[in-house]
Amino acid sequence: MALCGRGWARCARGLRLGALSRPGPCGTRGVRGSNPFTRQQEEEWRRRNRSAVGYIAAAAVGMVGLSYAAVPLYRLYCQATGLGGTTAAGGGAERIERMEPVRDRLIRVTFNADTHASIQWNFKPQQSEIYVVPGETALAFYKAKNPTDKPIIGISTYNVVPFEAGQYFNKIQCFCFEEQRLNPQEEVDMPVFFYIDPEFAEDPKMAKVDLITLSYTFFEAKEGQKLPLPGYQ
Amino acid sequence: MSTAMNFSSKSFTPRPPDKGAFPLDHFGECSAFKERFMECLRQSGYESAACRQSAMAYLECRMDRQLMANEPLEKLGFKDLINEKSEEKPEKS
Repeated sequence: MALCGRGWARCARGLRLGALSRPGPCGTRGVRGSNPFTRQQEEEWRRRNRSAVGYIAAAAVGMVGLSYAAVPLYRLYCQATGLGGTTAAGGGAERIERMEPVRDRLIRVTFNADTHASIQWNFKPQQSEIYVVPGETALAFYKAKNPTDKPIIGISTYNVVPFEAGQYFNKIQCFCFEEQRLNPQEEVDMPVFFYIDPEFAEDPKMAKVDLITLSYTFFEAKEGQKLPLPGYQ
Repeated sequence: MSTAMNFSSKSFTPRPPDKGAFPLDHFGECSAFKERFMECLRQSGYESAACRQSAMAYLECRMDRQLMANEPLEKLGFKDLINEKSEEKPEKS
């Protein structure tokens, strides 16, 4: 009983002290300071923190959106500046009409012909090399013969080495990417009409390049197969 | 052909020709013009600039025989040769 009485007094004292550590208006976390000045400061900090979190969240969402938009934007950029080998849309006939040959850069273009193992055509270039200047159109010939007794349909693709010169190598008309049918024992001439863009002469990376190799490879096409043209559709 | 797996290497992307594909000359209608062009090339040491007249003649043959879409020759880069021809004609007449 006596203990109780003393405890009671302690309780009462504790209650009075406890009034200071009672949960405040800001939730279960106790406000550190008791005077209103520090409380105001803490509220200010808390408000600033919340707006900072808002900004950071908006920036994160913006980054995700930008990464999705990057694909079409990059495509547009490539077409506008012609980087990575994409040609400017609508280059074409006006450029060819207006371009001037750059006489001081003579370039040797060698020709290579390949066939895939399964096609039985004899395919070879009719000239091993040709000397051209940028800005001037040139004609070259390949020859293909079908020595078998069945008609064979072939389709070809090409390659230009060095790769960086490939973006300046423009074919006006050739025989690639479309099915070509050769009847039995038939031999045809296949022309390639091309030019090297005059901007080749102004590219510092192409200053040492004076040999370009054009290489065609023929594959056998199955009936009714439709191959997509390369490039963005 | 290179696989495009490495980030920094430049790989080659083939591009379709501007005017599409030449129809095949199954009947050899323009072979004579082609032979003349090849002969010119061999004689000039395979220099393309020396044989542009023959190249123009071959393309004209193709256009006449419907083996190539008809196109004014200036658009094919033969503007200077056309001008030469038209200058010669008034001189002759």
